[in-house]
Amino acid sequence: MKLNRVVISGLGVVSPFGNGVSALMHGLREGRSAVRYMEGWDQYIGLQSMLGAPVEMVDEKRIPRQKRRSMGRMSIFAAQAADEAVADAGISLDREDLWRVGCVIGSTMGSAKSINDAFETMLPDRDLSRLNSTMFFQCMSHTAAVNTAQYLGLVGTVMAPAAACASALHSIGTAYDLIRLGRQDIILCGGAEELHPTVTGSFDILFATSTRYNATPSLSPRPFDRERDGLVCGEGCGILVLEEYERAVRRGARIYAEVCGYSTTANGLHVSQSNRDSMVACMKQALSEAGSALSDIDYINAHATATIQGDMEEAEAIRDLFGDTAPVSSLKGYFGHTLGASGAIETAATLKMMEEGVIYPTRNLEHVADDCAGIRHVFEPEARKVTTMLKNGFAFGGINAALVCRTI
Amino acid sequence: MTEQEIIDRTNKVFEESFEIEPERLVPEAHIFADLGLDSLDIVDLIVALQTSFGVKIRTDEKVREIRTLGDVYRFISAIKNGGQE
Repeated sequence: MKLNRVVISGLGVVSPFGNGVSALMHGLREGRSAVRYMEGWDQYIGLQSMLGAPVEMVDEKRIPRQKRRSMGRMSIFAAQAADEAVADAGISLDREDLWRVGCVIGSTMGSAKSINDAFETMLPDRDLSRLNSTMFFQCMSHTAAVNTAQYLGLVGTVMAPAAACASALHSIGTAYDLIRLGRQDIILCGGAEELHPTVTGSFDILFATSTRYNATPSLSPRPFDRERDGLVCGEGCGILVLEEYERAVRRGARIYAEVCGYSTTANGLHVSQSNRDSMVACMKQALSEAGSALSDIDYINAHATATIQGDMEEAEAIRDLFGDTAPVSSLKGYFGHTLGASGAIETAATLKMMEEGVIYPTRNLEHVADDCAGIRHVFEPEARKVTTMLKNGFAFGGINAALVCRTI
Repeated sequence: MTEQEIIDRTNKVFEESFEIEPERLVPEAHIFADLGLDSLDIVDLIVALQTSFGVKIRTDEKVREIRTLGDVYRFISAIKNGGQE
C-alpha cells in the first residue's frame, strides 16, 4: 500500500512567553525565563513547589461567547493557537472540503481549573444544582480538540489522544497516520495543557517538582544540570498543520518540514519511572521509519524536564544511540514543562530553529551532571544547518514518543 | 422585593452571564430569537437566577413557559412576591 507523504505547513503557539510563535522564539532568542513564583499557591497544604510558568490570557473575548462558554483555559489556548496555525499555513477553511480537515489535540485531562471548580462547587453540599451547563464540556478529556473543532467548524476526524506529557506527540503521530493512510487531507494537531496547583501537586507528591528554587524562579528548571531538582509546570498550546504533501505543493504552501518518522513505545515496567531501553527502542523505530541513519540527525530536542531520574534515563538513551555526536538541548529551562502541550510547542520551536539555522541551548545548564554526561549538550546559541531533527517526548505511565522531521 | 429590583437583578444576570448589552434588555425581547440564548444557556440562566434571587426553580414547570425577558421578570416576581404578576 502506497502511503501519502505528510508535511508541516503551519504553526501556532500559545506559550508562557505569550501568544504566537514569534513571542516564543523571541523569548528563546533572548534566553529569558518565563518561570514565576506563583502567588497564592502557599494555601495548598503539602505543596512544596511554588513555581510555575503561566500564560497571560489575552483577547479571549474575540472568541464568540457561545463558542467560548464550553472552553476552559486550555481550550482557549488551543483555539488561539489554531487560529494562528491556520493563518500561518495560508489555508482558507471556507474553501476546503471540511470533511477532510481534522483536529487531533491531546492533553493529560480536561481543564484542570474547571475540574477543580466543578468539584468545589458540587462537593461541599453534594449539590448538583449549582453546576452550570458547560462545566462538563470544559472538564471532558477531549475538550481542547472538540472546542477547537467547534470554533473553526471542522467536521473531519476529531480526536484527543491522552498520554499525559506525550499527548502532543501522540496527536502529531496520529495525525501523521491519518494523512498517510488517506483518511484526511489536513489536520490541526498538537497538545494543550493548563497550569493549576493541583497539576503541579500531582508531581509534587512524587518528589518530581523543583523545590529548592522558590526564591529564585529563573534558575529552575535545570535540565541535565548537576543542581537540577525537578520540573516546573507550564501551560499553553502548540498546533501544527499537517498536510498531505502533493496537496501542499500544488497550492504552493510554505513547507517547514516533512514528518518522516514516528514511534511510540511503552516501558511495561513502572508507572512513573522512565526507562532507557524503551526510549532507545522508540527512537530507533522512528529513525528506521524515517530512513534516517544516526549520523543524519542534526539536532535532538530532548524531553528533559529536569527530574533526577528522567533526565538521566534520557541522556543515557541518547548516549547509547548517538554518543556525543548529535547536538542536544531541552527547552524546559525557558518556559517550564508544558506537559501535554510540550511536544507540539517544542516541535514548533525546533522547526523555527531549523528555519533560522540556530540551535537554542538548554537554559540553566551550567554544569552537566555526571549521570547526564557523554552527549553533545548545547550551552550557547549555535549556528547550524539542521536538516533532520528528532523530538523526544516521555510521559507518566511509561510512555515514550519520538518524532523525526526533515526539511525538503 | 420591588419590581425594579427584580428587573435590575435579572438584567445583571443577562449582562454578566450572556454578555448582552444593557440597551437590548427590554421586556419584550425574546430570549431565544432576540437575545440569542440557546438550550445550554437556559440551564445557566436557571442556575444564575437561583443564585441571584435565592430561589429554587430548576424543577418548576413554569420555567418552560418563559419566552421573553418580561416573562422572566414576572416569573421571579410571582415567586418572590407571592403571586403578584
